[in-house]
Amino acid sequence: MKTQNINIEKEIATEIQNTFHTAEVNIKRNKRIEVKLRNDLIPPFLSYAKNYLTFNHLAHFSCVDWIEQNEFELVYIIYSYEKGVIVLAKTRIDREKAEFVTTRHLWYQAETYERELHEMFGINFKGNDRLNEFILEDWEGIPPYRRDFDTVKYATDNFYTRPGREDAKDVRENVTKINKEEIPEFAKEYSVRSLK
Amino acid sequence: MIYDKSSGKIVDIIKNYARKHSLWIVAYGTGCGAIELPPTMTSRYDAERFGIRGSATPRQADVLLITGYLAVKTLKRVIRTYEQMQDPKYVIGFGSCTINGGMYWDSYNTVKALDRYLPVDVYINGCMPRPEAVISGFIELQKLIEAGKANGAKKYKENLDWYRENQRKVIKNWKMPDYNW
Repeated sequence: MKTQNINIEKEIATEIQNTFHTAEVNIKRNKRIEVKLRNDLIPPFLSYAKNYLTFNHLAHFSCVDWIEQNEFELVYIIYSYEKGVIVLAKTRIDREKAEFVTTRHLWYQAETYERELHEMFGINFKGNDRLNEFILEDWEGIPPYRRDFDTVKYATDNFYTRPGREDAKDVRENVTKINKEEIPEFAKEYSVRSLK
Repeated sequence: MIYDKSSGKIVDIIKNYARKHSLWIVAYGTGCGAIELPPTMTSRYDAERFGIRGSATPRQADVLLITGYLAVKTLKRVIRTYEQMQDPKYVIGFGSCTINGGMYWDSYNTVKALDRYLPVDVYINGCMPRPEAVISGFIELQKLIEAGKANGAKKYKENLDWYRENQRKVIKNWKMPDYNW
């Protein structure tokens, strides 16, 4: 039977920290490590994690829109079957000139994730030659997952709204009152949203 | 009873009675609602006792079930499927998404009112409608057919320009074939 190494997260974290001095390594919880890196260090880090630390499974690749800082955050979630640990490699890229390099040479399934991010966020992945139309058809204008895309306005402008739902109210105020909670400060400006 | 050739009433009664008891559905699920069809068809609810069955292709089918939300991409395929079906044909809108958008009322890619794009004979309300509701909707359709009131296909032919205008509004790159019924 394989013996359980209790300090495996700490060992991996120190190893990553020793190799990549500028990386910000946090142990989020049991078997989960978060690594924040400069964006030019992502390809060497992923290659190192895959080939040396045996993180050979790309579980997910996604993007977070930080419109306030004018940045996109790319999140690679990689997993090691040998160690049983998840590593979240995060990096920030510029939002105006959204460009990054492909990781298709490391994991072939990254191509599909990149196609999705290209379509939904408008990020261009250099080296990926299949960034063509994927899920949306005939889409014009800014990509729909960007936070400056006004979904409600787009939906009311383009699709016919049947009358009868004009009084659709935000129920959060009532729900928070019943549960004696408070709406957080950042969510207050989105709380009143109704059909026009 | 004297058979009046000009009215064709007796023929219509027989025709509608026969159509009512043989409703074949296109095996095409557009949204999450399609998951309610297997229990409707199988032994627990057994829709076949009402003459409701699945069919393989649109050309052999009578009923087009729109089971849930319709993305613009799906709408294209649905319109093509509907136009390939042969008379008599009926459309059932299934779930609240087809009525007023349901929970996808603010989606960037979902049409909200099905009867702007296709003629709907019966709507089944709910999110999701259980098999009982589905069968109840089908019985409603059967009543309409028997009364000769399920004339969605006729409506579509007569108001084709209006439907085409609405369809072209959401489908930007129009590459649909023109059928001449």
